[in-house]
Parts: sequence; structure tokens; C-alpha cells
Amino acid sequence: MSGAANPVSPPDITITADPEKLAAFEQRIADGILIEPGDWMPDSYRTLMLRMAEHHANSEIIGALPEGEWITRAPSMLRKLALTAKVQDEVGHGQMLYRVSQELGKSRDDMLRDLVTGVTKYHNCFNYPCPTWADIAMVQWLIDGAAIMNQKTLADGAYGPYVRTMNRINMEEAFHFKSGEDMVLTLMSGTKGQKAMTQEAFDRWWPISLAFFGPADKPNCEELPPMKWRLKIERNDSLRRRFVNRFAPAAIDLGLIINVVTKNEQGFVTSAKPDEAIALDKSTGDWSFTQPDWDEFWRVIRGNGPCNAHRLALRRFSYDQGAWVRRAIGDGAVATPPAA
Amino acid sequence: MSKVRERTRSPEGDLPAPTPDAKQWVVYTQKREGAPFKWAGTVEAVDTELALQYAREHYGLDEACVGLITYEHGDSVDGEYSIGPLVPQKADGTDGDEWLVFTLAKRGGNHQTAGTVNAPDAATAINRGTAAFADGKACNIRVVLASDVHETTDEEMVIWRTHDMTYKLAKGYSKQVRSKWTRIRDNPAYEQYQKEDIETHF
Repeated sequence: MSGAANPVSPPDITITADPEKLAAFEQRIADGILIEPGDWMPDSYRTLMLRMAEHHANSEIIGALPEGEWITRAPSMLRKLALTAKVQDEVGHGQMLYRVSQELGKSRDDMLRDLVTGVTKYHNCFNYPCPTWADIAMVQWLIDGAAIMNQKTLADGAYGPYVRTMNRINMEEAFHFKSGEDMVLTLMSGTKGQKAMTQEAFDRWWPISLAFFGPADKPNCEELPPMKWRLKIERNDSLRRRFVNRFAPAAIDLGLIINVVTKNEQGFVTSAKPDEAIALDKSTGDWSFTQPDWDEFWRVIRGNGPCNAHRLALRRFSYDQGAWVRRAIGDGAVATPPAA
Repeated sequence: MSKVRERTRSPEGDLPAPTPDAKQWVVYTQKREGAPFKWAGTVEAVDTELALQYAREHYGLDEACVGLITYEHGDSVDGEYSIGPLVPQKADGTDGDEWLVFTLAKRGGNHQTAGTVNAPDAATAINRGTAAFADGKACNIRVVLASDVHETTDEEMVIWRTHDMTYKLAKGYSKQVRSKWTRIRDNPAYEQYQKEDIETHF
């Protein structure tokens, strides 16, 4: 599973940099020249980039939690191997992105502490449950598909260390996505029960995938720092439209029904009816669709999703459990594991 | 969900005391014998042995490679990151210690090994490295004392790729994905889908 680096609301920032230096910096970006760590950059650029890379890193390591829970229950040795490799990849992505963030001035320990205390966030989509194997398939197909679509644009960004990390991550994301596609194809060519399980998982994950890109940007977002400085490359709505154009026809061909659903507090579907808005506009080539429930999106982002508390608890548990190891190897202190 | 995870309760009370970050190590991998070592990423480790172990696990298993080097981040020195190609200055001399030289072809790209120079200090090594290797094709030169660079040994190599690991690659799924899709979509439709797939996802 992968995290998009789209912090939900662009923070309000004040640019206090030397106007001449700022103009030269912006001209470089406009000319497509990438920024490397030794280059001069406005403090607000550093702050925004750090916030984005840290959010992305948090998402990678939290995103590994729901899938990690399925390694022991994967249905074959091949799927078990692939899922293990994927979880390892995601944690590795977190490692690489924390490194990018460290270079921007924040210590790793501070980032991990801020994550477990809720000071910083991770991607909203990881606050939902994965009750069946088909959910894991949907996460790899839809969520990784959405993530890679977003991250491909981020690899065209302006900050060199993030761009090279993104290029490396995207290579691995391609495996995650392809493996997920294979899992969905397998399930949808299986038994009636497997198809029903897949449809239920699709109902849960389709709206989460649409919300993955975040709410619509402000109309003037191109003039605001995140896009002006090429930290963010494409509008959320544009990414969402491309996602639907790609995945809606694929889902329909697979025999899945694109439903509009309502969910309970645990994230389970309580009602589903076919999305009547789903249709191809032949003149534009775009598919129309029903927007996800944005009230639910905001509710979950504010900490009231089905799995927010559980994910953070597990992360906090790991942080606490690992403290003696960090002390032992970090400063050579004699340390002992916590009591079982 | 496993019972253990279901029963996880958030530990109460204060967080454990903060710990300092471990050392950062930069890792480069070599795809085939004689090829340059290319930047792969970083690992966090307290010593060389652990850094190499993590590097093998993290980057050596990610993709096929035949060699791997690492050094502590603080041991490298970067020269100027130029906007265009670096202009080499005349910088002769063979005195001093041996430095490994890395070049960066373009901003946002990956450094890779270019060769070695001898120099009494990092600044001279960068100058000599630029003269020897920039060749109008590099925008940055990075140098590390050769003695600070650690490499995997032949004995350690056998742990890599000793079994079929195509399940870790997108291409490892191409055949079965095609076979399953073409039961649903005709070949031209699949080819178009695949083309878009490459544009969008790879």
C-alpha cells in the first residue's frame, strides 16, 4: 500500500524570503531546474516540502499495517511471498522518505513521536478495515493504482531528493499494482462466492479510492506555493478523473458493479445501489461518476474513522516496544526488553 | 485480524525517552560486473556491518544486482550542483589519498561511480574528479575517501537471487494478467489497455 503525498489542505504560509533570491528561485523552478539540498530555498518551501515528505513517509509505514495482518492468511505460498515483499517495500519507502525529511531538518525520532501522538497525519485511506482477502486485492489494485498515478506526477516535481526517491518507489509500486490486478482478475474468474466477496470489497474501496486524491483544490491553486513551486503537480480533480477513466471501464469489464454506498461507523457497507452517474462521455472520453461522501472523508481525517485509533495504537505499541533496542544500539546503553 | 493485534491497546503514559537518530549510510548497487555502482537509497545503522546487512536486505533483494557499496553519509563531500554541465578546470596531480568519485548527470538524478583520484583533501579531489570525469556530462561531483567505502564480499553475494524472485517485479505478473484479461477483453482492447497502463503506471 502506498501513500499519496497530498496533505489535505495546503497550509497557509507566509513567504518572508529575500525578494531577489525568491525571484531567482522561482525562475529556476519555472525553467524546470530541480532544487538540490545545497541550493538556497525559501524557508516556506523547506517547510512545505518537509510536511509533504513526512506525511508521505508516515503513510507508507502506517499503510503497511493492514496488509501485514494478512501475510499469515494469504491463500498461497506465492501470494504470501508477494505480500511479504510488498510490506517490506512499503516500510522501505517509509525509510527512504524519512531520510528525505531528515535532510530537510527534522530528526527521525521527532517524526515517529509526532506520528504516534497525532501531531502529524498519514493518508486517510489507511483508516479503513480490510476484513477479507479481496480487500487486500482491492487495496493493491485500486489504492496502489491511485497512488502510483499520483506519484508519477510527483516524480515530475522540483525537489531533487524527493524526485529520485519517487522514481525508485514507483518502480516498486508497479509490482504492487500488477500483483493486485492479478489478484482481482483471479478472484473475478473464480467461484460465485469469490466474486461476491470481491464485489463487497470493491464497494468498500471504490469510494475510498475516489477520495484518495483529496477534495477539489482551490480555483487559484496553480498560483499558490504548492503548485507554483512544483511540490504538487496536478489538481486533485484531474487525477481523480484520470483514475476513473482508467478503472471504471476495467471494473465493469471484470463484472463488478460500481455502486454508490452508505457505510456504518465500522466502515462496512449498509446499503448499495448502482451509480447511475457512471457513463462514458464519448465527446470528451471522460467517465462521469458520483463523488465520494466528503463528510465521511472529513470525519475520518479528524480522527473518527473506523481504524484511526487502532492504527495509531499499534504504531505507538511498536514505538514503545522498540525503545530498548534504539537505546541499546543508539548510544550503547545497556537496555533490556520490556516484560512480555 | 490476528488476536494479538486485535488486543493491542495503546500504551498509556508518557512516550519513552527520545533517542538520537542512528548514522545514515548511503547505498549504491551494481547491476552487472564492471558496471558503475548507482545510487539506490539510504539505510540507518550504527555500524558498517549492520549497514551492509540492511543494505543487502533492503536494496540487494529489491532488484537483481551483483554488488553493493555503502559509506556513512557524513563521509561524502559534494561539489557544486551546477545548472548546466560542470566546466572542468585543469587539475593535475596524483598526490594524497585515494578518493572514490561519483558523478551526477542531471539534477534529480542518481549519482554513480565514475572512478578514483588521488588527492590530499576533498576540495582537491572534487577538482581532480571534475577534470577527470565530468566530461561535459555531469552537474555534480561527489567524493568519498576510498577507505571509507565498504563493499559486500563475494561470500555475501550468494544470498541474493538464489531462487526465482520475479514475484517481486511487475513483469513477473505480465503473462498471467494478459492471459486473464484476454478471456474478458479482445486482444486489440487489451493491447490498448496495456499501452495506457505503461503510460500511466510504469
